[in-house]
Amino acid sequence: MARDYGTENWIDWCPGCGDFGIVSSVYRAFSELEIQKERTVVVSGIGCSGKMPHFIDVSGVHTLHGRAIPFATGIKMANPKLEVIVNGGDGDLLGIGAGHFVALGRRNLDILVMMHDNRVYGLTKGQASPTLPRDTKTKALNTPSIQDAIEPLALALTSGYTHVARSFAMDSDHLKEAIKDGIEHEGAAFLNILQPCVTYNDIHTSEYFNERIEKLDDWDPQDVDLTGAINKSKITDEIPLGLFYKDTETPTFEERIAGQLPDYLNKTPAEQDIEENGKTLLDKKGFKSKFEGNLIKKEK
Amino acid sequence: MTEKLNMILGGAQGSGLETTIQILSTAFASSGNGFLADREYYSNIKGRHSYAHAKISSIDIPRSIDSKIDLLGCMDAETLFTHFDDIVEGGYLIYDASTGEKTQDSIKSIENPLRERLEERFEEIGIEGTVSSVVEHLKEENDVKVIELDYPSILEDIQKEFDISSSHASRYVSSILIGAVSGLMGLDKEEIKKGIERKFEGKEKIAEQNMFLVKKVSEMVEKEHGSPLKLEGSGIDEDELLMVNGNEITGMGKITGGMRFQSYYPITPAADESFFIEQHASFENGDSVIVLQTEDELAAITSCIGAALTGTRSATATSGPGFDLMVEGLGWAGINEVPIVITYYQRGGPSTGQPTRGSQDDLMNALYSSHGNFARIVLVSGDHEEAFIDAIKAFNLAEKFQTPVIHLMDKFLANFVKTIPLPEINKVEIDRGKLFEGEDYKRFEDGPISDRAFLGSEVMWYTGSEHDVEGNVSEDPMNRIKMHEKRMDKLEIAHEELDDKVIYFGPEDPENLIVGWGSVKGVVLDAMEEMDEDFGYLHFRCFSPFPFEKVSSHLEESKTVIAVEHSYSPRVSEVVSLNTGYQIEKEVVKFTGRPIYRDELIDSLKNVIEGSSREVLKHGP
Repeated sequence: MARDYGTENWIDWCPGCGDFGIVSSVYRAFSELEIQKERTVVVSGIGCSGKMPHFIDVSGVHTLHGRAIPFATGIKMANPKLEVIVNGGDGDLLGIGAGHFVALGRRNLDILVMMHDNRVYGLTKGQASPTLPRDTKTKALNTPSIQDAIEPLALALTSGYTHVARSFAMDSDHLKEAIKDGIEHEGAAFLNILQPCVTYNDIHTSEYFNERIEKLDDWDPQDVDLTGAINKSKITDEIPLGLFYKDTETPTFEERIAGQLPDYLNKTPAEQDIEENGKTLLDKKGFKSKFEGNLIKKEK
Repeated sequence: MTEKLNMILGGAQGSGLETTIQILSTAFASSGNGFLADREYYSNIKGRHSYAHAKISSIDIPRSIDSKIDLLGCMDAETLFTHFDDIVEGGYLIYDASTGEKTQDSIKSIENPLRERLEERFEEIGIEGTVSSVVEHLKEENDVKVIELDYPSILEDIQKEFDISSSHASRYVSSILIGAVSGLMGLDKEEIKKGIERKFEGKEKIAEQNMFLVKKVSEMVEKEHGSPLKLEGSGIDEDELLMVNGNEITGMGKITGGMRFQSYYPITPAADESFFIEQHASFENGDSVIVLQTEDELAAITSCIGAALTGTRSATATSGPGFDLMVEGLGWAGINEVPIVITYYQRGGPSTGQPTRGSQDDLMNALYSSHGNFARIVLVSGDHEEAFIDAIKAFNLAEKFQTPVIHLMDKFLANFVKTIPLPEINKVEIDRGKLFEGEDYKRFEDGPISDRAFLGSEVMWYTGSEHDVEGNVSEDPMNRIKMHEKRMDKLEIAHEELDDKVIYFGPEDPENLIVGWGSVKGVVLDAMEEMDEDFGYLHFRCFSPFPFEKVSSHLEESKTVIAVEHSYSPRVSEVVSLNTGYQIEKEVVKFTGRPIYRDELIDSLKNVIEGSSREVLKHGP
């Protein structure tokens, strides 16, 4: 069943890569949700995670480094009826694409952002990513990193994401459910996925994560304020997994647009006819009435 | 009989000058005149000197403006100091008599280089440098007729008449100027009234008070001077006109052409286009155009691409600094054959350069930016009429050839206000190119131009990496050749199919050939008309694909070839040389950020004929 969503492309991630856990959880989630292939678009950035759309049998847009979110924003705004999922890396979304990451939260557009978080830039041979804690020296680094790490969930929460969760690539049951929840959320959803990089990160390994992970228990993500959610999501000696925050009150971007353009969701930009027999739909009369403010009639 | 009039109206930015221009230009046009005005302003919200430089014609629609003006209307003393030398002999001046004792030293907004030039000039003509001394000089030496109005006392009258505060009354200076100009030109007060009512819709009292003031001043002026500047041509033929700037007409073109998504990041002089589109976003049938203000230009172009992938006609509008940021997205659209339109308004560069001043320096940027090589179409508009056509054509070509289209404009066009005849809407065609019907879709199959399906209708893949026909990453060398050739071949096809990439104006085999593009069009044509010498003008409408054959044949037939451009050294000469091997030896350039004026172009072309190889134009403050 889950195999229905795979493609024939050979998957060229390193053996043991956390990305395998992520893509297989995606297959399972899509399968259980019976995702419509041609109505779903996975948008990725650059890096190992960026290759993922080629391994999933739904439409895939493999974009530029850091720009998956704005590409996805254009797709979703032009056709809000599509299911749009962003799949990016930690460097992609929080380094080169950090501005877009914040902007999506402000808009609360109905997109799920899945972030592969292995704390290194794998495809360029292991440099520190924005989530690598300070003073950490992974094996590819010359010296320990002297830049502080971003806390992705805190950033997502303060940016305005209305569904903020953390999962782990090697716990497929947990991750599959987290992906399904994120897809089903109406609004901007952020799912931080911890994962090992078996080639370049010799510190944050599967064992490292397994020893520290604690799943949320008795936690109501809708009965907490931002500060409470930030505190709860913090990584200390333990790494909490689960859905920390969910807000269903804040209007989505689609609803905000429909507030100004009432027919937006019925006649989406992608669905509008713009021509008839090769002619524009705006005739001379329509043109004159539309641009009346610029029209000048000569007085006799 | 006066048929045409050149004028400058100036004042501090944010002091009501915009209102004056809007109301007067509407009145000129509805009285049957053609109107064209350059708008010059600083990168500043309030306080710095700003002006409109207009030509009004009662016989045709003007295509260029002159550096010498028949009328100078001053809202403040800085306007007088900045422009007094440009009034023609026997011309007219409107100024505030209460500023008579002012000197340039007391005006902090004047920049030092102008201050120094003024000091030299005052010494040269032997005046002390007060407003009164300048006015006296103009009267005596230049036979300028002066309309002296005491603005504060006029405002005091209106303050009493309507029992309003002095700060309120001070906002009415614009109406003093409207009154004085309409008096001198004998404009129909009903036309002014309509303009004022339109401007102050829903604010009846303000409209009434402004109108009262206009009438009062206009009567004062007419009583003393008559209406010596009344235009007496037969009026232009059109019963209906559009009064538009370049941002607006381009926005109209995009909407008419079926654009339904525009993204942008605020930048001068492009942002007004997006604002205009947003104002006209909804249609009566429920259709709408989405205008998205993004977090930066990286997001502007990439969200535009995303929207285009869904089959929505999508564009973004920017200027040089924003375009520089968009280049990574441009390359992605190139390798993925995405039909997007980038409307590119050039301004002075490099870097922040001259954000509010015009330039044509970015032709190379539009043609060659981005690493790697891909087919792109670059259209260039020379006036408002061309901008409308190109705004629509850009989408048709983008979709037909599945490639990004750059529509190159500039600040001059963006801000020049012009009356134009109504576009021929019934002739507007929409061509969406080859669309997919069938099964087993592969996005990049059957090139060079593959069938296009939209996200949402089929499963498909896109990637910025080199890819196979399905859109999956491939580094295979033979696949690379196949796909690279597929994309490049589209330019050859576009070259064959696109007519009118260059237009020629003038006699067969002229002695002298001017080569240009963009906003030099009007001024070149007007200069040619005025000159006795034999001139032709080769006007580019499209630089990519490049019109090799036609350009080569014109160049070979001409004795003297002159490039005219708003740039440091003509980019058009470089591009012509790259494409044809022909070296254009002579050039007339202007890179002050101000437009080329008709009179200075005529003078410079005469110099070129007499042997000069490079003329650098400098007129205009």
